[in-house]
Amino acid sequence: MRASKLKIRVSSLIIITAVLISCASIQEGVEAISKIRLSSSDKEAIVKTTKALRSSFADITEEEEYYIGRAVSALIISKYPVFQNGALTRYINIVGNTVAIYSNRPETYAGYHFLILDTEDVNAMAAPGGFIFITRGLLKRCNDEDMLAAILAHEVGHVSAKHGLRSIKKSRLIDAFKIIGLETAKKFGPEKLAQLTAIFENILGDITEKLIERGYDRKYEYEADKLSVEFGTRTGYDPNGLLDFLETMKDDSSGISKKGWFKTHPSAKDRIDKVKKEINSLKAVPQREAVRTNRFKRAMKNLK
Amino acid sequence: MKKKSHFKLLLCTVLVVFVVVLVAETLIVKVQATNLRKEPKFYSPTLAVLKAGENVEKISSQAGWYKVRTSKGLEGWVHSSAVKTKKFTLLAMDKSLKTQATADEVALAGKGFNKQVEEKYKAKHSEINFAWVDRMLKIKVTPKQLEKFLRDGKLGEFGGEQ
Repeated sequence: MRASKLKIRVSSLIIITAVLISCASIQEGVEAISKIRLSSSDKEAIVKTTKALRSSFADITEEEEYYIGRAVSALIISKYPVFQNGALTRYINIVGNTVAIYSNRPETYAGYHFLILDTEDVNAMAAPGGFIFITRGLLKRCNDEDMLAAILAHEVGHVSAKHGLRSIKKSRLIDAFKIIGLETAKKFGPEKLAQLTAIFENILGDITEKLIERGYDRKYEYEADKLSVEFGTRTGYDPNGLLDFLETMKDDSSGISKKGWFKTHPSAKDRIDKVKKEINSLKAVPQREAVRTNRFKRAMKNLK
Repeated sequence: MKKKSHFKLLLCTVLVVFVVVLVAETLIVKVQATNLRKEPKFYSPTLAVLKAGENVEKISSQAGWYKVRTSKGLEGWVHSSAVKTKKFTLLAMDKSLKTQATADEVALAGKGFNKQVEEKYKAKHSEINFAWVDRMLKIKVTPKQLEKFLRDGKLGEFGGEQ
């Protein structure tokens, strides 16, 4: 009895192997194997080897990141008015997208998009998925395109390294993944939708608390600076643009020095020391070009 | 009992090998839309637009880019950040096994934090304005604009000092 059962098992294994080898694609493989009768314990064993349970920020899909990023952006825009100037916004978007294509993550679910916030606060923020904000106050401190590119590259660095998603408390993700995993229908039922939306709100709270209120962990800011040097240099921008900007932050005695980037970022001096080391380790440092500074100045006329 | 576990082990091994062989072949678009490009450059002319969930066959790779073939037989380049290697999932074969969460992008498409969750959130917070987020998403930089900007600004491959 046992022997014959084993024979059936072995022969079914051979059949499965043959079917799999002959399949030209995964889809065909799945369809073919689904026709073969296996005990549920065997199926479970197969599945366990081929799929992992979602447990951390790294398991958030691009689409989910996009929806989190949209809501974080809506919260940022609800806090600050938008500076509405088409020409300058287009210019910021092209500089930002230029450094993004030389980043470690050129493509996100819906791409990189940049918006100017109408405030004197010196600030720049990146929501998950590639929604990036820069304030009028920060733009005013930029003297040329290489400086602007360095700041935008710092923000692209936050997106690329998923610092926003890393700020989400793990327990929230585990709860959310459990609800999502249990849902078999295309649409969530009212109870599950309410639970998931409540978690979604808490996730937004985790991110905005860091992004707007307290700032990311210092190590994330240093990492974003390092990535700014890396992406900027790869694009052909002078990474000293970041140093020039940080110099303007040092010993700032203006009334805004307790807000925005001043509040949410490590001290300019510490950052300058680290960025200098990064730049010194480069084999070659691109030079600034007058043509870039000229087009920057033309675009910035729209700021007034 | 022992034989049973041997059988499972053998079966799993075969499947894992199958997965390893196939993941090298099929890529799936993980972003909303990406361009199938003529050359492995972001400002290269677009041959077709590939949508989320679309499968393409990998032909070769080069510095962050994959040369691929679409289901319609078109050949071109996609960037590695826009695709992922397709994982073998057996979820389709038994509905009872869908009770576990999976990291598979296909199985999860549209399922997690999605439009439905956003709508529910919006209904609860009418003071939060998404209109500017939608306007922001409409700002696009075309491959041609990108190339001109790089060329004029002596950036990327048009730069001299790299």
